[in-house]
Amino acid sequence: MIERVLEQEEVITQVLAADNKINRHLVPTWHIDVLKSVDKALSPLLEFTDALSVQNTKKIRNRRLNRCFRASRESLKMEPLADVPLLPGEERVIDKDIIYMCPFSGALKGKVFITNYRLFFKSADMDPAVTLNVPLGAINRVEKMGGASSRGENSYGLDITCKDVRNLRFALKQEGHSRRDIFEILFRYAFPLSHGLPLFAFLSQEKFEENGWNSYSPMQEFRRQGLPNDKWRITFLNQSYELCDTYPTILMVPYKATEEDLRKVATFRSRCRIPVLSWIHPDNLAAITRCSQPLVGMSGKRNKDDERYLDIIRETNGTTSKLTIFDARPNVNAVANKATGGGYEGDDAYQNAELVFLDIHNIHVMRESLKKLKDIVYPNVEESHWLSSLESTHWLEHIKLVLSGAIQVADKISSGNSVVVHCSDGWDRTAQLTSLAMLMLDSYYRTLRGFQVLLEKEWISFGHKFASRIGHGDKNHADADRSPIFVQFIDCVWQMTKQFPTAFEFNEHLLVTVLDHLYSCRYGTFLYNCESVRDANEVRTKTISLWSLINSDQTSYINPFYAAESSRVLYPVASMRHLELWVTYYIRWNPRIRQQQQSPVEQRYKELLALRDQYLKKLEELQLSDSTPHLANSTAPSSASPTQRVTHLHTPF
Amino acid sequence: MFSVKPLKPTFKSYLPPVQADATSHPQPTINKLEAKLLAGEIVVNEANFVRKCIGADSGHGDLWGKLICTNFKISFITQETLRQQKFQYVNQLLGVHDIPLACVGQVVAVNGTKGKRKVLRSNQKLKFSPTELLVHCKDFRIVRFRFDEAGPESAKKVCLAIAHYAQPSDPQLLFGFEYVGERPHGPHGPSGDQANGVDPGAARGRPPSLSAHLPEYFVVPASLADSDLKQFSGFFTAQRLPLWCWNHQNGSALVRMASIRDPAQHRKLDQRICNAVTMSHPKRGDVLKADLDRSLPSIQDVQAAFVRLRQICVIEPFEESEEKWLSSMESCRWLEYVRAFLKQSAEVVYMLEGEQASVILQEDEGRDLSCVVSSLVQLILDAHFRSLTGFQSLVQKEWVMAGHRFLDRCNHLKKSSKEESPLFLLFLDCVWQLMDQYPSAFQFTDTYLTVLSDSMWIPVFSTFLFNCPRQRAEHSRDFAQMWDWSQQFTLKDQALFNSPLYVGKSASCVQKGAVKTFRCTKKNYSSTLRAGPSLKTQPREAPEGPSDRFSRAWFSRPADPRGLLLPQLLPSHLRLWRLYFLRWVAEAQIPRGGPVAALHKLSLLAGEIETLRGQLLLRQHHQGAAPRRLGPRHPAAPRAPRDPLAPEYVTSSFPFSPVGPNLCRRGVLDTPLSKFLGGGGKVWLSTETIATETI
Repeated sequence: MIERVLEQEEVITQVLAADNKINRHLVPTWHIDVLKSVDKALSPLLEFTDALSVQNTKKIRNRRLNRCFRASRESLKMEPLADVPLLPGEERVIDKDIIYMCPFSGALKGKVFITNYRLFFKSADMDPAVTLNVPLGAINRVEKMGGASSRGENSYGLDITCKDVRNLRFALKQEGHSRRDIFEILFRYAFPLSHGLPLFAFLSQEKFEENGWNSYSPMQEFRRQGLPNDKWRITFLNQSYELCDTYPTILMVPYKATEEDLRKVATFRSRCRIPVLSWIHPDNLAAITRCSQPLVGMSGKRNKDDERYLDIIRETNGTTSKLTIFDARPNVNAVANKATGGGYEGDDAYQNAELVFLDIHNIHVMRESLKKLKDIVYPNVEESHWLSSLESTHWLEHIKLVLSGAIQVADKISSGNSVVVHCSDGWDRTAQLTSLAMLMLDSYYRTLRGFQVLLEKEWISFGHKFASRIGHGDKNHADADRSPIFVQFIDCVWQMTKQFPTAFEFNEHLLVTVLDHLYSCRYGTFLYNCESVRDANEVRTKTISLWSLINSDQTSYINPFYAAESSRVLYPVASMRHLELWVTYYIRWNPRIRQQQQSPVEQRYKELLALRDQYLKKLEELQLSDSTPHLANSTAPSSASPTQRVTHLHTPF
Repeated sequence: MFSVKPLKPTFKSYLPPVQADATSHPQPTINKLEAKLLAGEIVVNEANFVRKCIGADSGHGDLWGKLICTNFKISFITQETLRQQKFQYVNQLLGVHDIPLACVGQVVAVNGTKGKRKVLRSNQKLKFSPTELLVHCKDFRIVRFRFDEAGPESAKKVCLAIAHYAQPSDPQLLFGFEYVGERPHGPHGPSGDQANGVDPGAARGRPPSLSAHLPEYFVVPASLADSDLKQFSGFFTAQRLPLWCWNHQNGSALVRMASIRDPAQHRKLDQRICNAVTMSHPKRGDVLKADLDRSLPSIQDVQAAFVRLRQICVIEPFEESEEKWLSSMESCRWLEYVRAFLKQSAEVVYMLEGEQASVILQEDEGRDLSCVVSSLVQLILDAHFRSLTGFQSLVQKEWVMAGHRFLDRCNHLKKSSKEESPLFLLFLDCVWQLMDQYPSAFQFTDTYLTVLSDSMWIPVFSTFLFNCPRQRAEHSRDFAQMWDWSQQFTLKDQALFNSPLYVGKSASCVQKGAVKTFRCTKKNYSSTLRAGPSLKTQPREAPEGPSDRFSRAWFSRPADPRGLLLPQLLPSHLRLWRLYFLRWVAEAQIPRGGPVAALHKLSLLAGEIETLRGQLLLRQHHQGAAPRRLGPRHPAAPRAPRDPLAPEYVTSSFPFSPVGPNLCRRGVLDTPLSKFLGGGGKVWLSTETIATETI
């Protein structure tokens, strides 16, 4: 049997190869027939892959098998997906007739297409057709559902859990192990790193006008902040990640601290993440610095260098008041960390500092919270006890704590006190707090490009462990390191944009896009845990930055209501009375709500802008036609730009 | 009447730790302050040297002045102006600090030192000298006065006067009867009580005198003769005959009807009415009944929810209620009821639009729940009612003329709290939800809805003062009409009623859009619901019914703001109407934020467009004549600085600003938040009170 199949395989490969050479312009129907026959021929092959691997002919046959796959894949590539054009570099892997168990419309017959980037489904007989377009990177887990003998209609198939708050179920015919091939392909391509395959970001051939990797330069950003100055200097001590392998190469440290001091401080901070500057207030020169917990341990160790270093930070802006250390954790957690060698800055050791615990829980709590949230919003929104169910997820409560922590940081800085922010390792809660505080304090970060800088700087360069937290291309869905810390941060930003609809240059669409590509693995931006690993994998040269996509066509990400305000500090109201569930993100898959690409208010504003331009144009035309019989250059309207000519009618404000 | 004697030393000790600027303020000129009175308004009692509490406990920023009780309002007059109060949205009938007596919900006298507290009712005695007066208003304000330096007798007198006059026993005591202000308008509403322009074809007007609670003219199916009506009217509760409300273009009609009292007549009469409605349908469409009493919460339920909502929003301490905010919101059930009414209305809309069936809204008296549902159905289906005039005519038609018992539901006479129920506010909240989901479909703003609700508490207008048109006619031949907004607001302030987002209405669009949507989906609907005579909301896990499919098909298409607008009914998509419920809560304000910040930008743009349009028109008029005269700068336009930023005074509560705190004050040390702030304690700094709190 095996032999026969393998014989067939030879023939198919030859046919397909010839096919590719000669008949490039085959009519699609014919093509599909070929594909179907290939499919048919391949399915028994797949059944025997396990059996084959036992044989000593394993290597040869596997190679043949792969060749066969490749050949079929190449021919698949030629037909575009039902509606969606393939991305450059995207290749089709398999198509299959399948039943999508839609939680809203019931079982839908249709076809699923799997490429090396996405899973695409289109229903056959619904009008309008139901489609699914899921980047494989968003898949958290693929499970087989039911067995060959399980009873009941549509009980045999696949159960796919996604990272973007949805689950997908597909049913297949029970005969002939019909799901094995699709399961294995899905498993392989959704978790490429677990199978020694590259992430799609390394295969993508997308081209953009702008190179997003240039959107952030640490030196330029420091210069924008007026740094270095006589109190702060740049150190290249971490040029080759010697000081700290999870920090960026360029660090801003107090001028008075020598390289030797930095090395000594590093010994006393968890993972050598020493306090370095994130942001400095342009007027009062108060600085936000970030680090990891001190290695105090059970015995209550002290480190004179660390104590002195923090005191130097306190003095940098010449205030005499205490340095505020914000420990993001709940007090008890900080105490518990002593057992593992960590801890917090004690009163007696750091006499010029006051320590404040911000009560923000750890990654595990946040993960469970989002899981609970998912349970009440997908597939159906919990209807009978919606608000109390929402409360019991604690998701908004966590948002509130993060936001109010950031408000406190921003408030201290505004009043002229430098702060140190840390949690345990200084890459989760710390990143949330510093970046949110910077967003409140510095309007630059509220622009579209400034926001990119903020993410690149506080999250990506300072080693938020994206790979571990998201689990890009990794099959271990139960990994305890996974946690939606970054999602939570983006949610906080969304809450701020809701409270201050004119203060941000970017809109909700940008935030959703960022979150979608956090998972998609289409861009290199959020891949890997820190700079050093990113360098080792040559992310900047081998992948494309998400900001290339965004910056090459910014229009859909721009908030039309944006009004630039340079010096305003935003203090959102961190109260349950204003915090809301981000329904347009978490509940966007539900067909019982209106799917809006754009908020109706934004849309209306853009319509009005167009109307205004129309009027201006008409006026200009009229003026031109009027002025021609008179002195030609008397009232040349073109000299005044439209915006200058616009005058204001009184408004009620 | 009031004491100007120096204070007795015993009162000194009652004072809380006094801040320097708080004591420096009592001015001798307070005596000379005069109340601004309307024509017919008289001063009943007054007290001098009263402090209106503004800041927190410290007394910082409090105002000194005179507290006056008239037969219309509680007035507080001061020479001081509020700090940070650059914008004032003032009702012209009221001063900044005034509270109309009809708005007073509860009057509480407090003696801080003795720890005594008493809710004052009409004609009651007070055995202690009050040091404080708390006025709980029906519009969610809570105002606090302190009598530290006013004489104890005058304090007591003014408290009792307020309590007495706030709770009149007879409608004749309502201020409207004394008011001899502007009465330029007759009692007739603006086109509201007539049919809304759609000629039902098969319906006609009827002469009156059947039920005391029905309007003078109303529309019934043509097949019912006057003699029939006279005969039938006795069988209906309160003699309220079926009232035609609205017709769909497809011929289906919306009718509201009271229940049939006489069980013997029930079947026959019911059949007769249904047949008559069917006869009026051009295609003889089915008639379905929605039993509102069964499917919706009762008026008492709504009132209970409202009381709890007020408790959560303004009475419970702000920080302490944070932790359980969401579950408290749920257990107060207000949003659940809002959703129930919207859902019921959407079901009726499906019947009219999708099934092309006529719907009879049935309710015991047909003048409470059916007011909400019938007006919501029309708002959802007919873009005309989403314009300002359309909405006013809708309220006039479905509420005022249809005999909603405003006098009882507002409990103006403070007689029976059993009859009190904020159904009209609930309706406005439902409208707000629709507006929140489809902002460009409405000509008016939520400011408009808010002041419309506030107008219920100004008993100068007959509109919301009586139980039925007849009572209104008997009592108030020349009462003012509320719809003339210029009595309450200047033209500039009225500009805030207009939504800059509104896309306008066009009748043709409505027809085309609506007819199209249901036609193309029609074949999908099974007739299962036709069999069931009453529309009941379906249980959650039930398989998708035809109405679900109807709405899902509708949601998958782009919405036309000029056409049918189905509400999104997931509980996650209904929100608290913050402007109304939280506008007086200082802690909940977002300085220079909230949706109004975007609206501000929009209205600037709308202003620009208006100017350009004017220029264009002017130009087209004078074309060729004198083009130079019409330079780029329009003479009428003020040279406003091009500042696109929302002004300082714009907060999420705009145009309202909390004058004085509610009882929920932000404490610094006793909040749950401070627990995690460690020993430092003082670290928590509020966002919006940074300016006022001295830390």
